[in-house]
Amino acid sequence: MSSEPGLVLGPRHKERYPQPLTFLKCSTCGTENSRPFKEEDYIFKTVDSEKCPKCGGTNSRIVNIYVPEKKEPK
Amino acid sequence: MAEYLEAMLNPATGGDNLLSFLLSLIWIGFLMIFFLYPSLGQRMQLSYMLRDLERKLQKLRMIKDEIGNVAVDTVKRVGRPESDPSKELERLSEFFMIQPESMDPYGLVYKLEHILETGETTYEKEVAAIAPHATETQLKTLTNLVEILRGINTLYRVVRHYYLLGKKTSNIYMVLQIQMILPQLLEIAESYRQAAVAFSKGQPIGDGVGVLVAAKLADGAEKTRYEIAKDTIVQELELENRKVYVVRAAGPGGTVGRPGEAVKLLVEKLPQNPKLIITIDAALKLEGEESGKIAEGVGVAIGGPGVDKYKIEELARTRNIPLYAFVVFESITEAITPMRESIAKAADQVLSRVKKLILDKVEGGEVAVVAGIGNTVGVGG
Ligand SMILES: [Zn+2]
Repeated sequence: MSSEPGLVLGPRHKERYPQPLTFLKCSTCGTENSRPFKEEDYIFKTVDSEKCPKCGGTNSRIVNIYVPEKKEPK
Repeated sequence: MAEYLEAMLNPATGGDNLLSFLLSLIWIGFLMIFFLYPSLGQRMQLSYMLRDLERKLQKLRMIKDEIGNVAVDTVKRVGRPESDPSKELERLSEFFMIQPESMDPYGLVYKLEHILETGETTYEKEVAAIAPHATETQLKTLTNLVEILRGINTLYRVVRHYYLLGKKTSNIYMVLQIQMILPQLLEIAESYRQAAVAFSKGQPIGDGVGVLVAAKLADGAEKTRYEIAKDTIVQELELENRKVYVVRAAGPGGTVGRPGEAVKLLVEKLPQNPKLIITIDAALKLEGEESGKIAEGVGVAIGGPGVDKYKIEELARTRNIPLYAFVVFESITEAITPMRESIAKAADQVLSRVKKLILDKVEGGEVAVVAGIGNTVGVGG
């Protein structure tokens, strides 16, 4: 049965799993930053353990989580 | 001797042409075979199709095993069970619900609702039993993951059934049926594979766009909130002097809640009839359409088995409440895999259109109900 699995899986193998980004909005200065999604992130969660890269404030809020559109498919 | 042979093979010499004679013989042989065995061509085609099917079945099995592994790993990691959950998960992946008898359609929706609710509760309890350390949020998402496992298991069993049946009976039409729809089934299987990972990590999915709009509408403006039906909350807010009741599934655990029952209970206890009920949901796009396209119309935008849709329609008819709907188009894959940028961006546009609709159609002091439909995995607030 498992004669040619490589052939069947084909080109889709490239994108194994889509990787979402988490967008955090700093409560102090309002800057929005993104980073790769971490487990237990959810939209509208308040995060107080991550420093804002601009003002150094530790309070921020997750405002969005999505998979960014690829600029150009190769 | 060589000259003689050469002459025989050369049609220009007028001699008997041995080669062309042999060729004719072979052709006649072929013709006789196809004449005496007319099904030979079909048999060749059948064996080719069966081989193709076998390869795809193999791929389905690999996807099924992968989802099974994701489920086992997640249950172990999140639920920390004392024993290996593989056996229990396999048992749950065979769990079924029997559709109610429709010969007598009276009360069919409520029978269906009863069966679905029993199934849902039982499933959640079973999952809770194999994942004793999971939080309530994790448990809901885990239940979704086990449901995906059940989905892929059913898909695999059905395809295998047709493959084996076709092989056993050498019935090309049996094989043809499954081969025709197999590309779509494989696409669904591939979506399941990605969905399993999304649920194992609690990432928001495309189907959650309706809930996301509702959550964004209430965000920052919410006055009070309460649970009105299982896993479903109402958030009250005021929008330029209009009273807005937002109904949605409570996140961030993966659940769709019971929007139908929730809207019904809410409207029944409101002091005045709402001026309109707006439902927001993801809808299946047609091939070639762009994802994240927004459309609006009238009616109740709720997919699934129809119980929730029926309840809101019935309520709206008896009380004469206009029904408005917004949908965001996406593919079946996008609906159950992590939310794409285009869909997340569409949520903001729907939000402003919902606000505009409320301001246009509802006067100050009047009431509107907004129901965000979809799976709320990864959407809190
Ligand atoms: Zn900052």
